[in-house]
Amino acid sequence: MKVRVNTFANLREYAPDGRSGFELALADGATVAELFAALRIPATVEAVMLVNGRRADAATRLNGGDEVTLFPPMEGG
Amino acid sequence: MHGWCGKILRVDLSLGKVASEPLDPHVAREYIGGRGFGIYYLRKEVDPACDPLGPANKIIMAAGPLTGTAAPTGARYVVTTKSPLTGAITCSNSGGNFPAELKKSGHDALIIEGASAQPVYLWIDGARAELRPAEHLWGKTTHEADDALRGETHAKAKTAVIGPAGEKRVLFAAIMNDRDRAAGRAGVGAVMGAKKLKAVVVRGVGEVALADPAAFQAANAKYRDDFKAKTRVNPPALRTHGTAITSVGTQAHGVFPTRNFQQGTFEGWEAIGGEELTKKYLVRAKPCFSCPIACGRVTRVPDGPFQGEGEGPEYETIYSLGSNCGVDDLAALTKANYLCNELGLDTISMGCAIACAMELVEKGHLKESEVGMPLRWGDGHALVALTRMTALREGFGDVLAGGSRRLAARCGRSELAMTSKGLDFAGYDPRGVQGLGLNYATSPIGGSHMRGDTAYFELLGVPVPADPHTWEDKPPLVAKWQDLFCVIDAAGLCVFFSVRYLVEQNLMVKPVGITELLNGATGAGYTPEEVEKIGERIFNAERLFLLAAGFTRKDDSLPPRMTREPMPAGPAKGLVCRLEEMLGPYYQLRGWTPDGVPADAKLKDLGLG
Repeated sequence: MKVRVNTFANLREYAPDGRSGFELALADGATVAELFAALRIPATVEAVMLVNGRRADAATRLNGGDEVTLFPPMEGG
Repeated sequence: MHGWCGKILRVDLSLGKVASEPLDPHVAREYIGGRGFGIYYLRKEVDPACDPLGPANKIIMAAGPLTGTAAPTGARYVVTTKSPLTGAITCSNSGGNFPAELKKSGHDALIIEGASAQPVYLWIDGARAELRPAEHLWGKTTHEADDALRGETHAKAKTAVIGPAGEKRVLFAAIMNDRDRAAGRAGVGAVMGAKKLKAVVVRGVGEVALADPAAFQAANAKYRDDFKAKTRVNPPALRTHGTAITSVGTQAHGVFPTRNFQQGTFEGWEAIGGEELTKKYLVRAKPCFSCPIACGRVTRVPDGPFQGEGEGPEYETIYSLGSNCGVDDLAALTKANYLCNELGLDTISMGCAIACAMELVEKGHLKESEVGMPLRWGDGHALVALTRMTALREGFGDVLAGGSRRLAARCGRSELAMTSKGLDFAGYDPRGVQGLGLNYATSPIGGSHMRGDTAYFELLGVPVPADPHTWEDKPPLVAKWQDLFCVIDAAGLCVFFSVRYLVEQNLMVKPVGITELLNGATGAGYTPEEVEKIGERIFNAERLFLLAAGFTRKDDSLPPRMTREPMPAGPAKGLVCRLEEMLGPYYQLRGWTPDGVPADAKLKDLGLG
């Protein structure tokens, strides 16, 4: 299956060519943790994870066509 | 005293008299400082029914015991007064270097009362203080005034000044310190203008004395080391991109206020985001006093119609002057931000007044002929022109100077002002951030995020993430966070560092690190529980002033768009803010009556009875 991934700030460096908004092929039923592994994001890197605009975590299962957004935790404006 | 200077400066503008008086140690211990001192003296000395722009109102400028120390982000002060925009209390908070300088001059707080017949400024040179004529400064921008004042006092003096907007009593005029830092909200600058006080200039050469230097340094080193260790792996987004980066979170959750809160996503969001700001206009990051984060932005728009340089924009400005006005031109909104800084305006309420006007025009309730120019969503030139006109009260700017609530009422469409208690919302649509909706409605100053910013955990993962759409679990968290922010604002710290490093990293945010630093500085021997109770005392004291000023349960409200019009699209589609369901449980756990009045038992418990 394919999912769409948006990464921001320091997490952008794990995007294939540094560009946010890319497609990623994963095994059917893959989790967010497996997406992290595919992008080689170390476990020590903190990220807020959203799937289709809703809060997710490492165990969240993905479906084809899902939009995954990753950004660092931040204190806000 | 340690941490505290033990001295307050009372400035009577009517009599032209300046005198220092001792800080009551009991008040220091029970209210800590900053926002706590603000509400203590406001309740003690100001009639809640007074005219905010009359001589009976007072301005309390107060630092905290950690302000001016080496504590991480010990840079803040709070300006407390009765707001001319809302009629409620306001306690507006700012960083930079002025607050630390105030402490180094040997003062915990200034109480400014009465009104001068002629423009004056206050010059505090260590222990000496005097009022000086300021007629030659009246009409000058904040930057011009800062230059002139340091020229005629001391090159290293720090200033807090009003611009033309404050002089002309624009109801959301700011007090600007260190040129570009703002005590921005609810018109503190208009109160200063009405008193004909152009500026406070301070020079301090002393150091803040510490009760237990070894304990203080140990705590300071521990929390700074925590910060260094964490940021080695996770570079802080606020340092790299400033608060402007926040729109990645609000857009992704579908709560980025757009076109006067008609939508929660903005198609032009990336063009006005933090990463674009870094790429196009960032000159350098600029920290406040003793801050390891450095979220401040020195920026320059190098060319084009909106050429200029200064500081900003912050996230709240990107929302208010950007998405909320449908503006996707980063140069235009940055230029409007520079004007707000130089003329002395709150960027949030400025943008919200223009956004409200744009919707009134769109819906046919306001004629462009009355505005004097075309006023359509996304018009960056109108944004810049109206900002200047508002500060100077020229043409339609005189109407905008009253803020969005008065504008909407004037057009017979009060429901189109996106405010609570008359204060414009921050950049989070409460339909998709339920806890923040409850906070907007119950914040003592009205629609501010900085009185308990639950967006940190509901949207941005700090200290741990929570679901922004649930409402049943939010009342206790909102109360806890409101009380925590009272503590942070009283101590003289910045919330950005405090919520990540100086509290326990769960949603109950016990202020362990704050307590350690306070004890090292003051020797007060607080427990974290005692500090939490002080936060609750401050919040309840503010509530009492609000009620005495005539506010009731019906003012703990949100506009009907937030509670009755479901979000039309995006991740928060179909949601409304469940305020009514949250309000009852919130009052109950606060120990308030069903009418939102602190019950006698609660007041007695907090020492407010």
